[in-house]
Amino acid sequence: MPAIQSNPFDLEVVLMFSKAAILLILIFYAIFTLLIVRQVNLMSKTLITKISPIVKAFSIVHAGFAIGLIILVWGIL
Amino acid sequence: MFSSYIEHPIGCRLEGQDPDEKILLLLRAHPITNIPWIVFAIFVFAVPFIVQKAAPLFEFSLALVPQSFILVLLIINYLLVLVVTFEGFLSWYFNVYIVTDKNIVDVDFHSILFKNIDVAPLRNIEDTSSSMGGILNSIFHYGNVTIQTAGATKNIDFQSVPRPHHVADFILDEVHKIYGKGKDARHPV
Repeated sequence: MPAIQSNPFDLEVVLMFSKAAILLILIFYAIFTLLIVRQVNLMSKTLITKISPIVKAFSIVHAGFAIGLIILVWGIL
Repeated sequence: MFSSYIEHPIGCRLEGQDPDEKILLLLRAHPITNIPWIVFAIFVFAVPFIVQKAAPLFEFSLALVPQSFILVLLIINYLLVLVVTFEGFLSWYFNVYIVTDKNIVDVDFHSILFKNIDVAPLRNIEDTSSSMGGILNSIFHYGNVTIQTAGATKNIDFQSVPRPHHVADFILDEVHKIYGKGKDARHPV
């Protein structure tokens, strides 16, 4: 019986690599959002205005969403 | 709150501001300088529509890609729009130039990890100059103000601020107040 060779460009293989790439992008994105939280913190300390707490809260929610998205994507892909 | 030229701002303080120090003028770059990142954000926002329209031209069917992947790619795309917008706003909002009754402060956040604050006491200001050139600058009336300081200290530049000539004059007026309305001033008006 002849051995079946798998095509490296099979859709399954491509999708698996795509999933890995997407997860890697999201991990970097989550790290970036944490840096943004740090940056916003620094900026808010330097210039204290009325909207500083709102910006700070937004950056924290944004970072939380980015981290949550990694788990979500891990699950649905 | 989101203005780029505020005289005597209320509810605004600066790191290291003395209790008796008052902010006289708060400046940001003119809002029109935000156009590049806004255009980029709109372009990124439109990418899924462009891909949808362009895919048949390259004989590629999006039906081959699982729905879950399309959904995730869409989310990533709109996250990119969000981060471009947020970063653009942060960079504009927190890069400020401040004139207090004691100092001139230039707060710069060049990138996500780089912070630079230049402070020059008003008494060290030698002279100021303003420049405005280009089509957009003339239409929207914004430009640069250069503040020369005494000694070897670095000059302070206000980039793309509204009403540059007025700002230069405002700073000199404050310097003259320190030197007794120009009586003892070393600086020509």
